[in-house]
Amino acid sequence: MGHVTRRQFLRSAGGAVAVAGLSGCRTGAGEIAPPSGRRVIVIGGGWGGATAAKYLRMADPAIEVVLLEPSTRFVSCPFSNLVLSGVRKLPSLTFGYDGLRTHGVILRHELAQALDADQRRVRVADGYLAYDRVIVSPGVDFQWEQIEGLAAAKDTVLHAWKAGPQTVALARQLQEMADGGVVVMTVPPVAYRCPPGPYERACQIAWFLKTRKPKSTLLVLDANPSIVSKAALFRAAWQSYPNLEYRQSNKVVKVDPAKREVTTEFGDVVRYDVVNIIPPQRASGIVVEADLVGADKRWCEVDHLTYESLKAKNVHVIGDATIGLPVPKSGTIANAQGKIAAAAVVSLLNGRAVAPMAPLNTCYSWISDREVIAVVNAYRIDHGKVVQIEQKLTPGPSTVYADHAVAWATNIWNDILA
Amino acid sequence: MIRSIVAAAVGLALASAAGVAVAGPVDAPGYAKAFACSACHGLGGNSTAAATPVLAGMSAWYFKKAIEDYASGRRVSAEMEPFAKMVKQQGVDDVANYFAAQPRAPREVKVDRAAVANGRKMSIVCAGCHGDEGGGDAARGVPSLQGQPAAYLKNQMLLFKADRRSPGEPQLASLKAIMKTMDDAMLADLAAYYASLGR
Repeated sequence: MGHVTRRQFLRSAGGAVAVAGLSGCRTGAGEIAPPSGRRVIVIGGGWGGATAAKYLRMADPAIEVVLLEPSTRFVSCPFSNLVLSGVRKLPSLTFGYDGLRTHGVILRHELAQALDADQRRVRVADGYLAYDRVIVSPGVDFQWEQIEGLAAAKDTVLHAWKAGPQTVALARQLQEMADGGVVVMTVPPVAYRCPPGPYERACQIAWFLKTRKPKSTLLVLDANPSIVSKAALFRAAWQSYPNLEYRQSNKVVKVDPAKREVTTEFGDVVRYDVVNIIPPQRASGIVVEADLVGADKRWCEVDHLTYESLKAKNVHVIGDATIGLPVPKSGTIANAQGKIAAAAVVSLLNGRAVAPMAPLNTCYSWISDREVIAVVNAYRIDHGKVVQIEQKLTPGPSTVYADHAVAWATNIWNDILA
Repeated sequence: MIRSIVAAAVGLALASAAGVAVAGPVDAPGYAKAFACSACHGLGGNSTAAATPVLAGMSAWYFKKAIEDYASGRRVSAEMEPFAKMVKQQGVDDVANYFAAQPRAPREVKVDRAAVANGRKMSIVCAGCHGDEGGGDAARGVPSLQGQPAAYLKNQMLLFKADRRSPGEPQLASLKAIMKTMDDAMLADLAAYYASLGR
């Protein structure tokens, strides 16, 4: 493609031909490619970013879409708690990015090192990538410093809150624990990724212990004053798990892996055989360093119709990194926001009005190897803001909802990646 | 039991070589109101999952009836009730017309030939209302069954059998009476038959 001019290249970029685009276009001053007037960079290939990249290309194949994502594999966080109980294996939650390539998304498996909103460019390892608009779906980073001893113990004290090697490693720690052992897991203070996730995890670990290591116990230390999501449904589910002890308002402030102890803010010391600390969270470093976070220094406020940052023009933030919308930090929401931001960016680049688009949320939680509970949220747009119409919970757990959960996963994984 | 993979190729929307824009799933009218459905129902309503109905190509009148029934609780669904209310607030006609206009995507399905053959024999009792090939009859308010996922169809038959879908609706009394004469295996065969049609 080296002899094809950029204009000819863009004209022809209606299909899956754009993959080789950037590498042949190196220019001076650290710019890998000159501004094209039609380039959108997407930072992060998770539930929000991968969706946005695909839908940008579907809505306007003349837009060049570059997705920056270090990982070559997409690993689903939803359903990954089932890996801890051995009900699922991680490969069944792992997918490639080839589907996005067939849509003509240019994948660069590297880290976006910095976002320069003033210059409209992103720093990568070998220079800068200019953009016309950027969609940032950066996910969360952990606030290691909030728990004494955690930063130094990252490799052994596992979070398993980003599905991948840590998920498999924590499952192995649980399998290798002697029967009669004590598992301690922590729930971080809100806001954090996937509000019901820690409680689903408690169910999965308790189910595993009950069926495989019946003399063992699980202690859940929750930093919050009560169960954050689906509280009544989880409390009912835990009736089946007498091996599970739940302590609210028990924020863990210290971990000592040598002594195998955690300490709560009240000074209670708890010994463990296996520990799973889900650390406090904030938006990922790149948006913190670009000063896109609000007064809380943790999360990004955005326009409810376009997801454009309230702090920087031409920068759209989606997914778990956002705050100020009445939505949970869930995969379904990130997927919906990816579509909304993509449609808004395409409209803005083409000088068209942005159509109001309301997200929705579905969230399934596995309370055993076969039963599921769910919550759904319906929204509308009112005076430019996302407003909740209704939240509804399933009346109780059911294998029917397990079928629905599998159906949801099947269709949404395709919606993101195929 | 003989199983074979049948690759169907119905309703392929071919983009015009002359460059005439064809409205795709993301720029068709109504997309801004229907887009979020794809999380569970697939892009353009082309669900590939067993438990979720295909919305692509669904008759607008039946889509609207389903939304009304979910919103009112005649069809009980914790998931669909709030979303049905959301669709009604947004304008059910736009969403119904969007999905009615979406082509069915080709889809690989596992076909159990013995089940399909048995289901075809039993379908005589259904054909009086749903038609010989399960295409439905809009004038009489009878929906098409063609090409819906077998697990979804079977679930709905079980709900009718237990009178948990549209309880007490006079028009459905004979349908429910028929369902009560069938056991799980028979319902599964019927579902396999109708799932195999229209593709």
